[in-house]
Amino acid sequence: MASRRSTRQDAEHGVRFSRTLFIALLVVSGALIAFDRPASRSAPFAGFRATFTDVAAPLLDLAAQPLRGIKNIGPYWRRQGELAEENARLRQQLIEARYWEDLAYRQRDRIEVYEDALDVESAAIEDRIGAWTVADPRGPFVRARLIGRGSEAGIRDGYPVINLYGLVGRVYETGRRSARVLLLTDLNSRVPVMADRSNARAILVGDNSEFPRLDYVGRAPDIRPGDRIVSSGDDGILPRGLPVGEAVATRDGGWRVRLYSDQAPVDFVWVWPYERVTPPDQEVEPEQPPTLGTGDDAGTGIDEDVDDAPAGAADDTGGASATEEAP
Amino acid sequence: MRKPTERSSPWLAASGCIASVLVALIVQASPTRLVDGLTIMPTWTLMAIFLWAGVRPQFMPPVAVFAIGLTQDLLTGAPMGVWALSYLVAISVFRFRGEDGMPRDLPPVLLRFGATLLLAHGIAFAAGSFALEQMADLQPLIIEIIASILMFPLPAYLVLRRRRSRGSGFIGG
Repeated sequence: MASRRSTRQDAEHGVRFSRTLFIALLVVSGALIAFDRPASRSAPFAGFRATFTDVAAPLLDLAAQPLRGIKNIGPYWRRQGELAEENARLRQQLIEARYWEDLAYRQRDRIEVYEDALDVESAAIEDRIGAWTVADPRGPFVRARLIGRGSEAGIRDGYPVINLYGLVGRVYETGRRSARVLLLTDLNSRVPVMADRSNARAILVGDNSEFPRLDYVGRAPDIRPGDRIVSSGDDGILPRGLPVGEAVATRDGGWRVRLYSDQAPVDFVWVWPYERVTPPDQEVEPEQPPTLGTGDDAGTGIDEDVDDAPAGAADDTGGASATEEAP
Repeated sequence: MRKPTERSSPWLAASGCIASVLVALIVQASPTRLVDGLTIMPTWTLMAIFLWAGVRPQFMPPVAVFAIGLTQDLLTGAPMGVWALSYLVAISVFRFRGEDGMPRDLPPVLLRFGATLLLAHGIAFAAGSFALEQMADLQPLIIEIIASILMFPLPAYLVLRRRRSRGSGFIGG
């Protein structure tokens, strides 16, 4: 009886269904669920997941090849009769695009002058890292995509991911040759955004629907239907001004966003190696040469350092502090 | 005349089992949204597990079911253990028992698969909500269930047809 309980044969031609093993696996599953929560995932779990996706990514990439070959087959088939009309429209758009291209070059030159004057550096377009989507799980628990580039290509956690039309999400799990991108629609996605027209701030909250919600907009937000929503960069993680989508009013008086990135299948994306802005209290102090002052002065505070600094540097610092103190 | 057990190599059947589960896992995680109109996939993995547990139970011991579920968790980015737990419990509760294993008629197989599917997704929803610390999205689960119920008769019919033609209780055996 005891042996029958412990290793039930169930007359299944030799298959052993051990109750002890079954219970042990249940316990392991429960422990994994408890310790692998996305909100509080530990480094070993994250590392294991990244290693696994590294191994699986080439296989998934191989499986995605035929799908890429037949992508958009539906719209293409539907548009067969409209090709001539579409061609004429595209030619018109090309003429308009040339004007915008000229304008963009002029603006780029102007921005470079401003950036030089302000001593600001922004990531150039060519710095972006292109990657193919190799897996696209759209289950009930996560809205994420696996891309076929990882830390070897310079990708790090937190980097924004964009496609041709706008922000797609951000990297949240990086392996050596693969990375997982948390989409804006995921339950765990929170992105500070603003209306381009009015600079009205909000938080874009994913809720697994196609249209993420705008939260914390205030009582009378200066947002209108159709407003262009861009990243505000308030979190210091994403750069300011990345196009996100269009504001859409809901029936209950709330706001949602129709994502630009949904205009086309997200198969090829760019990862933007944007380094987050480090808060002053977390900045790593650069190694400074020993000051000429006494040992008591060293490291006691900024004011003392400014006093010891050369005249030009002191002027610069003084200018900065004057700016900060201005109302 | 060859005995039923000699008709097909068990290695061939094992290879078929591994290949079908691998394909199911990859298809489950593949970028299906690249293809217009195909967004949510049926749970091919559960279909593969269910059918192999019916025709070749020795290929689907609890450890294998757990490993497949865990692989799906890792491939899809879900919290680890969610699908492993749900598949393990659902298959354990509703697997075919007895000497003959899975019946040769389609309706009881469909009925049993429907129950397995509902239990698996119910557990996945509860476990996923617990891991996420908020309610998981029910809509994709429901769509997955409906898609799976619609798609399952085809592979089930093919498997049962093969079983009937072989006259043996188990594929390859």
